[in-house]
Amino acid sequence: MIQKKICLLGAFAVGKTSLVKRLVSGIFSDKYLTTVGVKIDQKKLSIRGQDLMMVIWDLYGDDDFQKVRASYLQGSSGYILVIDGTRKETVDVAGKLHELAQKTIGPVPFVLLLNKHDLVDEWVVECPMVSDLRDQACLVSMVSAKTGEGVEAAFTALSEAMLRS
Amino acid sequence: MAVSIHDHALLGVFDALIFQKTAKGFEHLGDLPSWFPPPGLSRETELSPEQILDRSFFLQHFLHEAQAWWESGKTGPWKSGLWNEPALFGEDVVLEATAVRHGSFRYLILQRFGPDMVPIQPLLQKAREEQLSHRQAVNHHERTEAQLGSRLAKSEQERDDVMAVLDGLGLGTIMIDANRVVTFISGKAHDLLQTDPARIIGRTLIDGLPWKEDDSARVEEMGRLPGAQRQVVRVVMDGKKRSATALEVEVQDDPRDPRKTILLLKDVTEMEELRRLLVGPTQFQNLIGKSPAMRAVYERIRDIAVVDVPVLIDGETGTGKELVARALHQLSPRHDHLFLPVNCAGLTDSLLGSQLFGHKRGAFTGAISDHEGFFESAEGGTLLLDEIGDMPLAIQTTLLRVLQEGEIIRLGESRPRKVNVRVLAATNQHLQELVDKGAFRADLLYRIRVARLRLPPLRERREDIPLLSTAFFEQSRVALGKMGVLDIAPETMQSFLRYSWPGNVRELKGALEYALIHCRGGSVLPSDLPPELSDGPPAVQSSPFSKPNERQLILDALAQTKGKRAQAAKILGMSRSTFYRRLTELEIVQEDSDR
Ligand SMILES: Nc1nc2c(ncn2[C@@H]2O[C@H](COP(=O)(O)OP(=O)(O)O)[C@@H](O)[C@H]2O)c(=O)[nH]1
Ligand SMILES: [Mg+2]
Repeated sequence: MIQKKICLLGAFAVGKTSLVKRLVSGIFSDKYLTTVGVKIDQKKLSIRGQDLMMVIWDLYGDDDFQKVRASYLQGSSGYILVIDGTRKETVDVAGKLHELAQKTIGPVPFVLLLNKHDLVDEWVVECPMVSDLRDQACLVSMVSAKTGEGVEAAFTALSEAMLRS
Repeated sequence: MAVSIHDHALLGVFDALIFQKTAKGFEHLGDLPSWFPPPGLSRETELSPEQILDRSFFLQHFLHEAQAWWESGKTGPWKSGLWNEPALFGEDVVLEATAVRHGSFRYLILQRFGPDMVPIQPLLQKAREEQLSHRQAVNHHERTEAQLGSRLAKSEQERDDVMAVLDGLGLGTIMIDANRVVTFISGKAHDLLQTDPARIIGRTLIDGLPWKEDDSARVEEMGRLPGAQRQVVRVVMDGKKRSATALEVEVQDDPRDPRKTILLLKDVTEMEELRRLLVGPTQFQNLIGKSPAMRAVYERIRDIAVVDVPVLIDGETGTGKELVARALHQLSPRHDHLFLPVNCAGLTDSLLGSQLFGHKRGAFTGAISDHEGFFESAEGGTLLLDEIGDMPLAIQTTLLRVLQEGEIIRLGESRPRKVNVRVLAATNQHLQELVDKGAFRADLLYRIRVARLRLPPLRERREDIPLLSTAFFEQSRVALGKMGVLDIAPETMQSFLRYSWPGNVRELKGALEYALIHCRGGSVLPSDLPPELSDGPPAVQSSPFSKPNERQLILDALAQTKGKRAQAAKILGMSRSTFYRRLTELEIVQEDSDR
C-alpha cells in the first residue's frame, strides 16, 4: 500500500487536531487541549480504487512559544494549511508556514482550509486576504471539524493531488 | 572514571527505553521501563522494543536526523521533541527520543511523559487559552462595533432613503418633540418654508414656523386630537420673495414615540392653481364669481382693458360696475396712474362741471379759489363717470367736447388745457331709452359706448351666490370681529339662492353684514337675515337654478331613470306636462322615446 506523509500546518487552535480527529475517528470535542508535540495519525483512503495510507503529522501551532521544527516537514508529499475563519491573524501564520514548507520540501501540493465554517457568522477572514495562497493551493475549502463539513473531501483532494504529482 | 552505561541497574533509574546502535541495528539495553509496553501496544504483545523503532513513523524520521547528528561529530544530546502516535502507543502516551554519543557508542533513549509530566503543556495551554479568549473578546467587541456601525449606517441610510422619497414626493417633514419644540426639519420642508432651519430648530411651532399664528395654532390643535379626528390643515404663506404658497399640513404621531409629532408639508400651490384652471377663475381682480356669465365678463375685461377707448359699463345697481372699471384700469397701460370714480347723479350742473373740469376762482358763488377738476387730477389715468345717465345735459355737451378734443376748459376760464384721461362710464339705466326721451345725447352715447360691457344681475348668476356669500362672510366676520360665527347655515344659503337680489351683489354683502351683526350662535341662520330675506314668500317662483342648470338637472334625472320621463318628472317635482314642455323649450332630444 502506498504511504504518504502529510503535515497539518497552522496557528494554534485553528483546529488542526480537531480536523484530524474528525477524519480519523469521526468525533469532535469542543474542549481545547493544545497539542504540545507532534501527533501522528494514520488514515487509509481509497482514491479511485487505489488504497492509500496517509500518515498525518499534526504539528503543534506556530506561535511565540513554539516554532515549528522545519525538519518535521521533511518527507511530506503534501500539506494542509489551516486558517481559523474567526481569527484574522491565523492567515498570516498560514502564510509564513506555507513559505517554510516551500523552502523545506519544495512545491508539493497543499490544500488551504478555512476552518470553523459552522461559526461563519463570526468570521472575520475574507477571501481577498487569502488570495495569494488560494492561487497556489490545489483546493481552497471552507470546512468545519465540528460538523465534518468538507473535511474528508479536503483530505481526498490532497491525496489525489499527491498521487498525480 | 566514567560510569559505564552498560551498568543496567543504573539505567533503570531513567525509566527509559535505551538502545545502542550496533552494526546490525539497534539493540535494547537493560530492563524495560515501567511504562512499557504502553497501553496502545497491549493488543500487540508480541512487539519488542526494537520493533517499535521500525513501526513508529516518528522514530523512523528521527533516526535519520540522529544519524546525521552522530555523524556530525557533535557531542551532547539531540532531542526529537515530544510526540505522540496514538495508533502505536495509545492516546495519552507522549514520548521523546534523545540521541547521545559516548565515545564511539551511540545511544537512543526513549522517554515517556505522562500528560502531567509534560512541564510545558500547562503553561502553553494557559497562554494559548488566554490568547484565544482575548481574541474572542476583541472579535466580539469588533463585531458589536461593526454591527452597531452598520446598524447606524443602515438606519441613517434608511432615514436618507425615506427623506429622499418624501422629498421626491414633494413632502416636507418637520419633527416636533414632546415639548412641542421642533427637532428636525427636512430639506424639502425648509425649502417650502423658505427659512433658515437654524431659526426653526429648537423653537416651538408658534415661535418657529413662519406661519400666521392662527395657522400654527390650528396645527398644534390638530396634534392634540386623536389621530382619526385629525384633518389636513391648509396654510397659505405670503411669500416675500415669490408668490404665495399654499401648503397642506398633515399632523402625524411619531410611530416610535406618540408624544412626538411629525408634520408632513405638501406644496399644493400648483394644485390650487390647477384647480383654479379646472374650475375657472373664482375671482378676477376683485370681482368674485365663476359662473359662465362672469367668466365672459372677465374675458371681455381682459380684451378691452388694453384698448385705450371709452367703455360703457352697463349693469343693475350693486352688480359691481366700479369693480369692473377698476379692473379695466388695473389691466390697462394706465394702471400706474390714478383711477378716479365720480358719481354724476344728484349734482347740480355747476357743481358737477367744476368737479369734472375745475374752475377759476370766482367762477360761481363759493368758488373761492382756483380748482383743478377730476380730468386734470386723473391725468394719465382713468376716470369713471358713474351713473352717467343722470348727468345733466349741459355737462353732457361739455363732456362730448372734451372727449372729442382731448382738452378741457375750467369753468370761468377760456384757455383750453390738454388732458390725457381714459373715460369709463357706468350706468344702470337704459341709455337708449333716455336718448329716445331726449334726456341723453345720442352723440355722447355713441362716443362713450365704443366698447360696451354688460354686468349680469345676481339673479342671472345664482351659482355664484355660495361663493360670494362665503367670501363676504369671511371678510365681514373678520371686519366685524365675529370670529365666533363659523359658517352659514344651509337653510340660510337656501334662502340666499331663492331670493331675487334686486340690489344684487351689494345687497348680498349688506345682508351678510346685517346677519353677522345679528347672529348670536355659531352659524348664520335665516332668522339673522334682514326682514326682506328672512320672512315673506320666496321672491322668485322659478327654480333657483338658471337655465343651463335646469337643463342639466333634467338630463341627470333622465339618465337616472334611464330615459323614463314620467319618473324623471317625479324626481324633479314637476308635473308631467311641465316636464314635457321644458323638454321642448330646452331642446332636449331623447334618443329613444319613453319606454
Ligand atoms: N466551532 C468549531 N470549533 C472548532 C472547529 N475546529 C476546532 N474547533 C475548536 O477550536 C479549538 C482548537 O482546536 P484544535 O483542534 O485543538 O486546534 P489546533 O491547535 O489547530 O490543533 C478547540 O476548542 C476546538 O473544539 C470547528 O470546525 N468549529
Ligand atoms: Mg493541535
